[in-house]
Amino acid sequence: MIVAQRKTVPELMEILQGHPRLLVLGCGTCVTVCLAGGEREVSIIASAIRMASRLRGQPIQVEELTIERQCDNVFLEQAAEAIERNSAVLSLGCGAGVQALAERYAQKPVYAGLDTAFLGILEERGIWTEKCSSCGACVLHDFGGVCPITRCAKHLLNGPCGGSRPDRCEVRPDRECAWQLIYQRLKDIGQLDRIKKIAPPKDWSTSLDGGCRTIIREDHRI
Amino acid sequence: MKPTSRLATKIDGKDFIITAEYLPPAAVNGAAMDAAAGSFDDRIAAVNVADNPHGIGVSSLAASVMLSRAGVEPVYQIVTRDRNRIALQSDLLGAVCLGIQNVLCLSGYHQALTGCPESAHVYDIDSVQLVAAVNAMQHEQRLIDGTEIKGEISFLTGSVANPYLEPLELNILRLTKKVQAGSRFIQTQAVFDTERFDQWLSAADGEAIPAMTAILAGVLPLTSADEAERLRETYTDHHIPDEVIQRLRAAGDGASQAKEGLAIGAEIIRKLKNCKGLRGIHILSGGKESLVGDLLAAAGL
Repeated sequence: MIVAQRKTVPELMEILQGHPRLLVLGCGTCVTVCLAGGEREVSIIASAIRMASRLRGQPIQVEELTIERQCDNVFLEQAAEAIERNSAVLSLGCGAGVQALAERYAQKPVYAGLDTAFLGILEERGIWTEKCSSCGACVLHDFGGVCPITRCAKHLLNGPCGGSRPDRCEVRPDRECAWQLIYQRLKDIGQLDRIKKIAPPKDWSTSLDGGCRTIIREDHRI
Repeated sequence: MKPTSRLATKIDGKDFIITAEYLPPAAVNGAAMDAAAGSFDDRIAAVNVADNPHGIGVSSLAASVMLSRAGVEPVYQIVTRDRNRIALQSDLLGAVCLGIQNVLCLSGYHQALTGCPESAHVYDIDSVQLVAAVNAMQHEQRLIDGTEIKGEISFLTGSVANPYLEPLELNILRLTKKVQAGSRFIQTQAVFDTERFDQWLSAADGEAIPAMTAILAGVLPLTSADEAERLRETYTDHHIPDEVIQRLRAAGDGASQAKEGLAIGAEIIRKLKNCKGLRGIHILSGGKESLVGDLLAAAGL
């Protein structure tokens, strides 16, 4: 899922200056699961903005709404009336949701209430970790299901760097070295040979380096 | 084309090889370079010119050329952290034009460990792929994208290895790829625990690596216990045993600790000289070039 975290209230107050009526719009998908932008967080952020704006002497009237998916026009329609009656929207969706809103409601200021962080998983209660960089050409089959592009801080494809330790990455003590995990996993499944040949330079044109990406499924456009 | 640099000739010979390291500072007046160049005499086969390992200094290509003009043979270090395959290969072609003959390919410390942790990195290719790219430039006269290179290239290409990287099987797997990609010499991270270094060298020997590439063991002249602790805490590729730090601290004041650091380095060099399959040492003198002569004197070289 997409993992995001909330911007701080002072940051939001800086962003929201000058709007008397604000819609705080949550999203019921990824950001609800990662406890950043669902119904519950909409309520918390809305209350915080009401209080902070009152303390500043410029009260903002805040409306709350959460829709199923902000990145889908079908669901965005459900917010049309609420968007219309407010002077701005604070989206608690991911970056895709914010932009979908801004594109659809061209005359309405739309602001991001979250910092969208990564594609990842819930590791344990309250801890999310990044697993995928969306490079557009998955290599997980060669690396035992551990992504060296995302999880190695240097995207190394031919083995660990000299700073690798069994219990940590060179960069941070609380991060495992992807190559230690790749090695152990491939050893466990009897596929160590997969990393013995030299991996050639990766084609990054399918990744963000090739520019913003579009997928067109002709079979679904009939 | 076969490499003809001084270092290449030494590698083809039998002598114990000594290389050292120069860390170009953020200084453009040439005085720092002259002082450093003066620290390297004939005993040193070649001097590595570091590519911004800890922060920004004079570019390793420019400093390599300057060192060469000062009469010291450079090993041009190039890291994949800051340049994509376009810039790396362009700089390598430029290096050939400027007379550079030795090149050392590394991934480089992550920028989080440098003075510029906020910067973006590149890591388009890794060090193994860079070694392979240099090899293709040299032997197939082509760039990664297939572009033909006009003119001949005779680089002596090397890379680095950490003898203490665990597990050993993964360590040797990585080393083997570096050698297969075309590394003709391997310089290691600093050796303190010579017993473990020997185990690593034996494992490398098991894959016939010393027969294919010249391994030069890193020797780091420590100047104080505090420095050793700081290095050990900051860089996970540094394996400095507690005993070394205790010995430095027990030596007493600053000057005594620096003297003890040289004594430790000299002892290590003497032990390394007996290691089967080792072709020489690489003095990790970066930023402390004046210590090179003192260390060699202490080691009786």
